[in-house]
Amino acid sequence: MSAMEELFTELPVPLLSTAALLRHHHQHTRYQPYHRLHQPQHFHTTPLHELHTLQHRTAYQESQSLFYPQDIQQDSDVDRGKTHISCLYPEILAIIFSYLDVRDKGRVAQVCTTWRDAAYRKSVWRGVEAKLHLRRANPSLFASLVKRGIKNVQVLSLRRSLRDVIQGIPNLESLNLSGCYNVADIGISHAFVAEAPSLTQLNLSLCKQVTDNSLSRIAQYLKNLEVLELGGCCNVTNTGLVLIAWGLKKLKRLNLRSCWHISDQGIGHLALGNTSLEYLGLQDCQRLSDEALKHATGLTCLKSINLSFCISITDSGLKHLAKMTNLRELNLRSCDNISDIGMAYLAEGGSRISSLDVSFCDKIGDQALVHISQGLFNLKSLSLSACQISDEGLSKIANTLHDLETLNIGQCSRVTDKGLTTIAEALTRLKCIDLYGCTRITTVGLEKIMKLPQLSVLNLGLWHVR
Amino acid sequence: MPNIKLQSSDGETFEVDVEIAKCSVTIKTMLEDLGMDDEEEEVVPLPNVNSAILRKVIHWATYHKDDPPPPEDDENKEKRTDDISSWDADFLKVDQGTLFELILAANYLDIKGLLDVTCKTVANMIKGKAPEEIRKTFNIKNDFTASEEEQVRKENEWCEEK
Repeated sequence: MSAMEELFTELPVPLLSTAALLRHHHQHTRYQPYHRLHQPQHFHTTPLHELHTLQHRTAYQESQSLFYPQDIQQDSDVDRGKTHISCLYPEILAIIFSYLDVRDKGRVAQVCTTWRDAAYRKSVWRGVEAKLHLRRANPSLFASLVKRGIKNVQVLSLRRSLRDVIQGIPNLESLNLSGCYNVADIGISHAFVAEAPSLTQLNLSLCKQVTDNSLSRIAQYLKNLEVLELGGCCNVTNTGLVLIAWGLKKLKRLNLRSCWHISDQGIGHLALGNTSLEYLGLQDCQRLSDEALKHATGLTCLKSINLSFCISITDSGLKHLAKMTNLRELNLRSCDNISDIGMAYLAEGGSRISSLDVSFCDKIGDQALVHISQGLFNLKSLSLSACQISDEGLSKIANTLHDLETLNIGQCSRVTDKGLTTIAEALTRLKCIDLYGCTRITTVGLEKIMKLPQLSVLNLGLWHVR
Repeated sequence: MPNIKLQSSDGETFEVDVEIAKCSVTIKTMLEDLGMDDEEEEVVPLPNVNSAILRKVIHWATYHKDDPPPPEDDENKEKRTDDISSWDADFLKVDQGTLFELILAANYLDIKGLLDVTCKTVANMIKGKAPEEIRKTFNIKNDFTASEEEQVRKENEWCEEK
């Protein structure tokens, strides 16, 4: 069979008369797998779903004359009469590439020019965060990221100016500098020299050189910031919080983990300015006392607060938190001064929290569970790891916390099979349970737990993936 | 169930249950727009699909006729390619040419379920391969100039980062 006969077998009948056109075309495509008449109806940058409509209307009306790319065959030495991948329109290549992970997306872009152009379409990179080592000069990198519509960047290491990133990607929405230890105030002040209204998320965790001076820049120019991570930025002080309160009115999430200089007054500043705050991370801010929690009640939108390792917080402070009607998550892990009475304050104060973590609070015992069972009816997740609780306490919560889905009682060495039996009988919505290091339980109790209808996670090992 | 007739590019006519044919949004819209109702004995010409491919498409659509409509693409959800059913996987054990023609047919006929599963299949053929291996797999010529290739390599170096 000659090449031309093969060609004809692939052509729809009405197109036979266009053989001359094909021959002409053939010459042009001799050394390139992709020809220009590739997709006659796809020349416009119309979104795919509109194209479908466009396509089938014209297809029906012009069915006698329309010229379609899959009917054109390539050089016979390339595909031997079979439809070649070059017949797929860039839109279709982009759909295929959208299924690939980032590494493979980057590799298809290096296959040939047509694939590069298809791979650089924005639809391929939707939601992708570029993780960059910024070392040597790479002049076209930022332009290519912009072309791909990439708006989220994580900097893995930084030996160049941060300013390059900010200027190179003007529509940046999220910038993660976590662990870039050499980011300092001077770099921040060079980088942010004008308003960057698109930037909504900034992560400076463990950028330990950053001080209040940087926060001054950030508060001045990043007015639309919704997420600010400052975990481990131990030079930040209450002054920094004044600046945040003044400038960042849209802030929803603020993490101040291990910002040791922060005191009660700082939280007072936040409550005056950042009224839309929904999450506040104060883990390991050891200077904070109950007074900070009193100030926190001014954050009326607050849904979640992390106070773990805030060792100066006491039971009385929880009275304030109990009044916060939007609060749903409370983390008091390793708050050494929290005891049974604190749980009474939460329950009696009408707290509507759905998630409570009092793991490693030595003073939490069965009496705490009595209080919890009498008021915190909305709890879906309760963590009591290493608390001084027993079967007695578990029987109390089993009676009233019908919505409980997660129960972490690892290292509660007094719990026995009896407690597990009570749980298995009453807490039928339980999905996850942690029993690591419960030394007095046996397979008898575990078998009962395994019968829970919704159970999907049963942890007995040291590493508990939450 | 009423049937309609579909005519492939090479003139073969296929009689298909209307409900099955309507899994193609293109055919569905044609029938609605052009008021081709059940009484008329009209033939729907499909000039972009040859009989071999149309036969396969009808086979696929018949098997999937009771499927729930495919979910809308969720931007935030990571796209999976490991969820191809074993029937589809068997159905798609075809040569590359047929696979690409099925993709073009699914695109032209606007059958989202078939387009998704065929594109996933091609994505699985690409996964884990270096650019040169991809070229070999699909018989693609590297048409980059040396400087273009160097530039595109630099622009995508970061994608290899874990």
